Formats: sequence, structure tokens, C-alpha cells
Amino acid sequence: MTQTIIWTIAILTILGMVLAVVLYLVAEKFKVEEDPRIDDVEKVLPGANCGGCGQAGCRAFAQFCVESEDMDKCFCPVGGNDVMQQVAAVLGRTVAAKEPMVAVVRCNGTCENRPKTNEYGGYQSCRVKAALYSGDTGCSFGCLGCGDCVAACQFGAIEMDPETGLPVVDEEKCTACGACVKACPKNIIELRNKGRRNMRVYVSCVNRDKGAVARKACKAACIGCGKCAKVCAFDAITVENNIAYIDFTKCKLCKKCVAECPTGAIHAVNFPVVNKPAAPVAAKPVAVAEAKSVMNKVEKSNEPVKKEE
Amino acid sequence: MMKTFSIGGIHPSDKKISKDCNIEILPVPAKVYISMAQHLGAPATPIVKAGDSVKVGQVIAEPAGFISAYVHSSVSGTVKSVGPRKDLAGNFVTHVEIETEGDDWAEGIDCSDTLITEIPEDNKAILEKIKLNGVVGLGGATFPAHVKLSPPPGKKADCLILNGAECEPYLTSDYRIMLERSKEIVIGAAIMKQVLGGCPAVIGIEENKPEAIRVMSDAVAELQKTARGYDGISVMPLKKKYPQGGEKQLIDAVMKRQVKSMGLPIDVGAVVQNVATSLAVYEAVQKNMPLISNVLTVTGDCLPMDRQHNYKFRIGMPLSYIAEYAGGIPEDAAKIISGGPMMGKAIAELDASTVKGSSSLLYLTAAQTMRGTESACIRCGKCAEACPMGLEPFLLQKYARNGMMDELEENAVQDCIECGCCLYSCPAYIPLLDIIRIAKGDVIRIIRGRVQK
Repeated sequence: MTQTIIWTIAILTILGMVLAVVLYLVAEKFKVEEDPRIDDVEKVLPGANCGGCGQAGCRAFAQFCVESEDMDKCFCPVGGNDVMQQVAAVLGRTVAAKEPMVAVVRCNGTCENRPKTNEYGGYQSCRVKAALYSGDTGCSFGCLGCGDCVAACQFGAIEMDPETGLPVVDEEKCTACGACVKACPKNIIELRNKGRRNMRVYVSCVNRDKGAVARKACKAACIGCGKCAKVCAFDAITVENNIAYIDFTKCKLCKKCVAECPTGAIHAVNFPVVNKPAAPVAAKPVAVAEAKSVMNKVEKSNEPVKKEE
Repeated sequence: MMKTFSIGGIHPSDKKISKDCNIEILPVPAKVYISMAQHLGAPATPIVKAGDSVKVGQVIAEPAGFISAYVHSSVSGTVKSVGPRKDLAGNFVTHVEIETEGDDWAEGIDCSDTLITEIPEDNKAILEKIKLNGVVGLGGATFPAHVKLSPPPGKKADCLILNGAECEPYLTSDYRIMLERSKEIVIGAAIMKQVLGGCPAVIGIEENKPEAIRVMSDAVAELQKTARGYDGISVMPLKKKYPQGGEKQLIDAVMKRQVKSMGLPIDVGAVVQNVATSLAVYEAVQKNMPLISNVLTVTGDCLPMDRQHNYKFRIGMPLSYIAEYAGGIPEDAAKIISGGPMMGKAIAELDASTVKGSSSLLYLTAAQTMRGTESACIRCGKCAEACPMGLEPFLLQKYARNGMMDELEENAVQDCIECGCCLYSCPAYIPLLDIIRIAKGDVIRIIRGRVQK
């Protein structure tokens, strides 16, 4: 009995030692040299695997960063400059800060601006709808409103506004990965410069029809009149194919074009309220006047009561 | 046992409500808008300008490529403008707007009813006439007819198949021309068969049209007795099954041959033409009449019997004009379809004009067009059973939703003929065709890109 146990232990021990040597030799022979920095870089990355950088995922991007000579070509839109600084620190390089970007929906064809001309009853997908016909409004370039961009966003940064029927980008959550840009069959969404203090000026229309046709389909359409291009002192605006485009690298946010646009197709967002012209300022006195008149009425109605007393 | 195609297919109710309505001729409206994109391939280039006066049958646009076709004026009058106008899908297409004055026909067109049974001998001249008169396939795809009738070198046609299946529910325009213009169709078949080198010709008609089978058989027998060049033409009754009128399905039913994936019918020695195309060929060759008119069905369950119509229309008539002439749009119509209910398109712009291939104005009610709420696939396999191309739609839609292009290609998504059998048979209301159609386009684009490299 004891002999059997001793034999078993001895054989297993010898077998284990032999296999250990074999495994060691195999591991030495087939060793894959991997740069340890790839692991270090990957740890710093956000791990969203969204593909916004143009690589297959965060690991692939880490490898790309390590192998790439030029840090300017590497940029993680989700992590932004902070993450890129950390990546550069890991790799012992320096990186220039890039302007943060944000997705911008260039269509203002709300239900009010762009009345429906027919009812779409098919499958709720922008791609399917775009393949079938020009859409349920007179504008064949505008937002189809089925929310392919919402489905494409991994960060929950886009939502459909039920009132306007248009997608709304949450600037805080948007990482500018570009998934929505690819998902939109009408090429409405564009990645634009976030701008100084989030202030942006852009043309919120992509309709390439002639002015009269575009205007008939949508009240807020760019009619390609070129007034904005004339007024721009920085050559930032070009008008091509009946549509104006503002180059965000040249735009100095002076907002002259916004005031000039006859259809209100140029939008200025996140500007401080004090700078806002006419409309909101005019709105306040009206409200105050109304309030005063109401108070007057109340006072007057109170008077007879007082007299009775 | 009657013949039909071997795999898949469905049996929708045929609803040929307007089958007993004679073809009526629509009066010419004050204005017509003739589209430059009435055929498959490159849109034609207009050769008239505003202010020109044109006659009926005069060429107003020339083909802009090998696969393209001539377009003729369907009325006489003055060209008002040449510019973009919305087609029935709401997309802008160049149209020629013509204001009608009188009905003055261009020279050399024979407008009489006399039947010309003598077939000209010069095949080249025949093909030239078919091309110059702008004949395109009227079965749905509007592929230029002269291209189909000139097989590439090294390939020979073994059989000309005339498609009289009209397998789409509701449509009766082909049925009516088979009854009323049977001899002309047979002569057209004889002309095409001669051009193709004397191969036999088979006219395939579904069994739900016994009257058409009888009339067409009589016409063939009579012409074979009285004139030369009509041997080898026969009528073949087919079992009723959708999509019998699909090119590949019809070849399978008639010849028992299968067209390979991404192949053309001529690869198996078949040429398929619609009966309406045959009529257009007859008119082009024997009467020198360009393709400026076609027959269209106005139908729907919500129309009373006396408002069901089969109209002979001239191309360029606005659909709204036809709807108005036919007594207006019924109140309970929720959707108007151009084409059959299976493959036709819902009309987004009723002001759009008719084209060579227009085949119907079909009114469907809200109940008929309602989609059920989509639920999960229950793996019943009905779609795979129904697919006439032997595909597995449930699998394809899964791949498509996940963007798996390699798997889609392996599973032959590019062979989909978009007949809608899968969507029709799905008990879970999964939008199979909608999703597969998009994937098919993507895969075909990838395949073409690869070939170009």
C-alpha cells in the first residue's frame, strides 16, 4: 500500500518536472515580443471601443500610438486632450492640444418650418426611408427624423426632440466620435469646432435646391443668396450649390452673418444673452408692460371694494 | 400538371377587380411633363428647348449612354420649359413641359388600326427601329429593349419568353391588352424571335386568366395559318403563384433552367420580354410608332365597380390628372400605389407624371396598408420557405442589422429580387425586405468595387 503511494508521487513528480521543462522551452521558442507600452497606453484610454479614432478599438489604437512616429495623427475623440496628454506622457513624447469638436445637426426643418406633405408608414429607419423616397416633407435634403443617429450614438448624446422631430446633441456627452455622422444617410450631421466658450456659428441647412424651391419646402432653409458671404470680413463663408457653408477654422464669431440671413438659417449658439440683439430684449418690456396692466386692473378692481368699506 | 417555378412563392389573393373593364383612351390634358428618366440606366439628354414646337412622336431627348433610351413627345404643342420636377418618389428629375395644341402627329407614323402581319426581313433595321422608337421593357424594370434583344457575342438565345403572367394582385393592364391586342402581341413576338435568330417563343400566362390563354392561343393559331414566320410560337398556361413574373422565376417555370447568382438570363439562353413590350415592338416596327403610350389600371377595393378602369394613357400625363378624370380619389384611400401591391411604390407626389413603365394607380385603405407591430423572430422558417430565390431572409436580416458584409455575401443577399414574399409571410411583422434591400445595395456596391480594382 505505502509502496503504491510512493510510486505514484514519484512518477507524477518526475512527469511534472519534465513537462515544466518542455513548457519552458516552448514558451521561450514561441515568445511574442510585445511592447509593454501598449498595455500602459491602453490603461489610459477610455475603453469605449467606439472606433472614433479610426482604429478597430482601444487596443488597436494603443498599438497605433506606440508604433506611430507622428503623434499628430493619433487622436482619441472620446478622451480628448486630457487623455492624449497622458498617452504622450506614457510614451515620453509631447502632443499639441487639438480643438475639441462636437456633432452639429445642420437642419432646422421643424414641424412648423417644414410642413409634411405625406405620411410615411414604413419601417422607422432613416436609411430605409432614404432608399425609398425623398422623405415626408417637401425638402429632399433635410432630416428624416427616424433617429438612426440616436441608435448609432454609444454615449447617449443624441435624442430626438418630439416637438420638432429633429435630433438634439447633448454637448456635454458628445465625444465627437463621428458615429452619427456616418449613420446619417442625408449627411446632415457635421463635426465642428466646439468653439471658444462653446460658442458656435453655423448654417443649419443642407438643402442644395435653388432658393425659391428650398424656401417653399422649408421656412428656415438656406436659399443661397450669398448675403452672409458678402458681410463676412474673414472670408469664412462660401456659397456653393445654393448652400452657404461657414468654415469654422476661419470664423471669428462676429455674428454679422446671423443678423444678415433673411431666413434665419444661420444659427449662433451659446452666446451670452447680453449680446443677443432685438428679439429677447424686446420681449422683456412687453412682459413687464403686460404685468403692469394686469396689476393696474387688480388695483382698479380693488378700488370700489375699498370704497364700500 | 401545369408548370411553375420550383422553389418558394406565395399565393396572395389575386383581386383582379378591373379585369372586365375595356381599355379606354384618356383625353390629352392641357399640359404634359415628360420625364427624362423613364428607363433603367442613364437619363436621356433633352434636345428641345423652351419655345420649340413639337409634334406627337417627335424625338425630344436622346440616349445618354449605352443603356439609355430615346424619349418622344406624347403630344403636339409648344415646349414651355425644360427643368427639374418631382417624380413620384419626390426626387427632382429633368422634365420637358409641353403645352398641348391640337393633335398633330409627326410624319411617318401609321396611326391606323390595320394589322400588318408581314415581318420585315432586315434584322438590323428592326433593331434600329426598336431603338429609335424608345422601346423599353414594360414589365417593371424598363430596361431598354434593343439592348436585351442583342445578345453579346458568343451567346445565343434558345428561347424567347413572353411574360403574360401578371402575377401581381390587382393589376389587369397586361390582361386587357392580351384580350384586346392579342394579334399585335403575337406579331411582336414573331419579330423579336426573328431578331434573336429564330428561336422558339413561349407566351407564359397564369391559369387565373383562362380567357387570355384562349384568346392568345386563337391568335397564334390564326396567324400561323394565314402568314409566314409564326412557327414555333406557343402559349403555355402556368400555375398561379407569386412571383411568377420575375425573370428568373419565369425562366425556371418555362425552361427548367436556373440563372446563376449575379448571372443574366442570356447565360442560360433565355430572353424574357413582357407582353406589353411585345405590343410596343409591334407598333415600333410595323407602324413606326414610338413608345408614347401604355395601359394603366385604376383600381382598389375602395372603388365601386363602375369606377374601376383600364386606361390607355400618354406618357407625361400627371397622375393627379388621371385620378381626377377617373372620378377623384376615394375618401377611404390611405395610400396610392404605382405598380402592384407587392412590388409597387407608394406615391409621395401625386402631381408626378406618368412614365413609360407606369402600370397602375392602386388605392389601398388604411386597414390594408397597416403594418403590425414588430416582434421577435420565432424561427418558424416561413420566410425561407417563401423565398423564390432560396435565400434565408431571417438570417440575412440578422447579418444586415449587424453589418456583417462577408456573411451577407456568402449567403447570397445579392440574389434577392425584392419580391416581398418574406415580408408577406412573416408572422412577427419583421421588416425583412426593408432591411435586406439596404444590405443588398451595400453588398453589390462592394462586389462592383472589387471588380473595378
